[in-house]
Amino acid sequence: MTPTFAAAYANPNLRGLELALIALPVAALPHIWHQPIWISVLVALAIAVRAWLLVSGRQAPSLGVMSLLALMAGGLTFVQYGTVFGQEPGTALLLVMIAFKLLETRNRRDIVIALFLGYFVVVTTYFFDQSILIAAYSLLATALLTAALIQVHAERFIARRQLARQAGTMLLHALPFMLILFVVFPRIQGPLWGDPQRDQTAQTGLSGELNPGDIAQLLQDESTALRVEFDTDVPPLRAQYWRALVMTDFDGRRWSVDEGRSTIQPTAVDHDTLVHYTATLEPTRARYLPVLDYPAVLPDDADLRANHQVLRDRRITNRIQYSAAADLTTPPGAGEAELDPEERERALHLPPSAAPRSRAEVALWRATHGDDDRAIIQEALQRFGAEPYRYTLQPPTLQDDTTDQFLFETQAGYCEHYASAFAVLMRAAGIPTRVITGYQGGAWQTRGEYLRLRNADAHAWNEVWLDGEGWVRIDPTAAIAPERIEQGLTGLAQDTGEDIPGFLRDGEGLSWMQRARFGLEDWRDFAQFRWESWVLAFDPERQRELFARLGLDSQDWRSILIALAVGFGSLAVLAIAWVWLRTPRRRLPAAERLLQRLSRRLARHDRTLARHPHEPVHVWSRRVAQARPDLADTLRAFAEVYNRQRFGKLSSNQRADELERLRDLLRDVPRGSPRQAVHTPIHQ
Amino acid sequence: MRPDSVSVPSRSRRRMARLRDDAIRWITRRHAHDGAAAHLGRDRIYILPTRAGYTLLGIILVMLLGSINYSNNMAFLLTFLLVGIGHNAMWYTHRNLLGLRIATLPVPPVFAGQPLQIPLRLEEAAGRAREALNLRVGPQATKPLAIPAQGSTTATLTLANPGRGIYSLPRQRLDTRYPLGILEVWSWLTLAPEIVVYPAPIDPGDPQGGGGDQSEQGLARREGEAPDQIRPYRPGDPPGRIVWKAYARSGKLHVREAASGQGDRLWLDWEAMPASDPETRLSMLCHQVLAAHNEGRIYGLRLPGQTLEPAQGPAHRAHCLRSLAQFQTEPVELQPQARGA
Repeated sequence: MTPTFAAAYANPNLRGLELALIALPVAALPHIWHQPIWISVLVALAIAVRAWLLVSGRQAPSLGVMSLLALMAGGLTFVQYGTVFGQEPGTALLLVMIAFKLLETRNRRDIVIALFLGYFVVVTTYFFDQSILIAAYSLLATALLTAALIQVHAERFIARRQLARQAGTMLLHALPFMLILFVVFPRIQGPLWGDPQRDQTAQTGLSGELNPGDIAQLLQDESTALRVEFDTDVPPLRAQYWRALVMTDFDGRRWSVDEGRSTIQPTAVDHDTLVHYTATLEPTRARYLPVLDYPAVLPDDADLRANHQVLRDRRITNRIQYSAAADLTTPPGAGEAELDPEERERALHLPPSAAPRSRAEVALWRATHGDDDRAIIQEALQRFGAEPYRYTLQPPTLQDDTTDQFLFETQAGYCEHYASAFAVLMRAAGIPTRVITGYQGGAWQTRGEYLRLRNADAHAWNEVWLDGEGWVRIDPTAAIAPERIEQGLTGLAQDTGEDIPGFLRDGEGLSWMQRARFGLEDWRDFAQFRWESWVLAFDPERQRELFARLGLDSQDWRSILIALAVGFGSLAVLAIAWVWLRTPRRRLPAAERLLQRLSRRLARHDRTLARHPHEPVHVWSRRVAQARPDLADTLRAFAEVYNRQRFGKLSSNQRADELERLRDLLRDVPRGSPRQAVHTPIHQ
Repeated sequence: MRPDSVSVPSRSRRRMARLRDDAIRWITRRHAHDGAAAHLGRDRIYILPTRAGYTLLGIILVMLLGSINYSNNMAFLLTFLLVGIGHNAMWYTHRNLLGLRIATLPVPPVFAGQPLQIPLRLEEAAGRAREALNLRVGPQATKPLAIPAQGSTTATLTLANPGRGIYSLPRQRLDTRYPLGILEVWSWLTLAPEIVVYPAPIDPGDPQGGGGDQSEQGLARREGEAPDQIRPYRPGDPPGRIVWKAYARSGKLHVREAASGQGDRLWLDWEAMPASDPETRLSMLCHQVLAAHNEGRIYGLRLPGQTLEPAQGPAHRAHCLRSLAQFQTEPVELQPQARGA
């Protein structure tokens, strides 16, 4: 026993408190980053004071002092947050409560309550962090809390190693339960009350508007936006455009989305050439789903709007997974002779005062090329592809008329500048055009064979309407910086040497340290992705699919009962088999088994002939011989050999011979049955 | 409080108590008499959640609600992990009792007024260490017991002394909440060690009639015998009669011997005791038996309807004392009471 804690063991009421004083801070540790500093200090102080009281064998402070302190702490929480409800204030209050509960601990009940609340603290961690690292950490915290609980109830000091093994085993035994319940427990689309996302911080991802500089902000964001696994062959990187938002409305500076209300069906396509994939999307708080161009098959809970934008039926507040398919070659509206007049008008609209210089320029092109829309498009792309236009992620800011200033003055920008300017040029030329934002590029994860798109992979491009061909994708950025499209943004960073955010991958000129770092990064993202796609993305929709694959219906309580019964039933069978296999069975010596068989056999003749457990074998044989003189010789011989077997010193050969004799003698005793009392004398 | 205001709850409480008694009778009937040893099989181990268990259940329910509300899969995982731990606790707690063997040990007889200590032996043969077992009789409990794997321990129940008589132990309860304290597992035992309480000795020569004065005079003087003689030790002499002072002086063992010699038979007679109350007479006889034994005399005991022929030695002493203990009584079940009551 650690002498320091002798006091704890002297007082049976506080046994195990020292472990609670370790387990609870461990459980609360991840909150340090999410709580005001005074809470961490308060909790640490309370634990330190309690440990000191314990070691010095002093009593806990009086109830009056404690109540006063607790009231003050509750008041402080209220002052800090203005409420005690919600995720952060609630967690703060919980931590403060535990700190005081520990401080006033006088008996076992107090310790047990504090430890139970400790489990709750572990759960509140997940409000703020759901990474696989936190998952592993909370297993450790849960094991510690459980170990403390065991020690509290053990009534004596238990060696720490044994305690650790016991708590670990408990967790291990509980894992199958956890898995079955996780899969089978009926999931509903939350929330039950309130808006759980209310207190979540800034949103990430694309927004419904495109202002100059918007995407530049996103390009700083290394976090994952989307991960994609392909069920069919992986299309080349340059063909992978992940459309998210379709922007038709332009006010001279800002592009915005109006998805309208009407929904349409994806263009009929040849199903053999579709690219099937499953995407895991981080929560965006918006409804758009990034899908691979051009969308052909959509998930059930999403539909295609008239502007060819895919919207989910509700906002994406949690990480979701969806499966869809794309037709790489058939743009929306292909085969239609003309665009809907209303739509056409919107796709041609320019504010009257916008971009006068550009309009004049386009008028010249029109004069040159006549009705040839394709030639006009080529003209614009060629213009971007030539000097002095530059592709840069740090362009000068644009003030006045963004289009004219970009086209004729700064002439430096990235995708959103080119997409916006291109759209204005086309509309000026009378070609219906819109701006699409989404993701392009991404990094292929060789570890897990999936594509990882970060927010930094956000991109903007255009679609122009060509009669008969539909909305054809044009990417003006490809004209100025084709490598942006061929290699993705990350590949580009090497060529230009610019300080572009983004991790360099597959780099030839990288040092081994950089390579190791990227390798590690690969592994980390892989683990996180698997964690997210297998565990965190499991929702009512995934549950329904899983049940359907098993021929069950997740909405039907009978199906749920069947799944539960099968799950726990097989678990019970496994557990029983395991316990049975591990129970040591003492195998009786061979002679002993033969003796029992003989006794059973005789008992079938006459029940009183069975050997009593305490009866020496030779005594028994004499007793039986009196009742059955016909068996007297056999029994006497049996008793003799048996005693030699059990108590004599024999070589193993002799032992085997003797055993054989016992078997022969047993054979001499007729099996008999209680009904037919036919006695056949064997030995005269 | 008016009397009738309490009568309503007390009536229902009485009904509850009767129901409880019925249930307990039914339970104990299933394994009516354990006698000398009991083996705790699955058929006699009961389990129910404790208050802490219900508290944890409440916390788990709140966690589940939170998981649903926030659609937080990690919260679901931890909640279900706790559900699994709580479920398996049934098994762990049950196993802490399962397969134990509890056997009676001879209860050392005591005199009335002395604390009554009843030893019981707990044996572990399943290869699992057991923790925090409580053995109870009524409100009395042993200290929490731990048994090492393949080991055994002796539990000692300390009960209030009920006075002279032969007793049996009431129903015993062996329970445990280890390891998590959220469930209690228990088993009822009906082990029947024989408990013998001798009368408290009272010196008949003492007019106050109190106190267990076991000095070696009383008897000899009252019967007017000659003073003791000292003779050399012979093998077989009772060690209580060795004259240690003489040994210290001479280095040789001597024993004190009544002058009338060993052949003299002493009769301890119920009728001769100077008291009218039967219990006091028994107490006096008890004192006389002890004194006669200590003096190494050959003595017999005459009780109404029972005569023990003169003899000597520890077995005879025990026989005599036992006769006194069970004089005109039937064996009864001990009434366990809170200590000090």
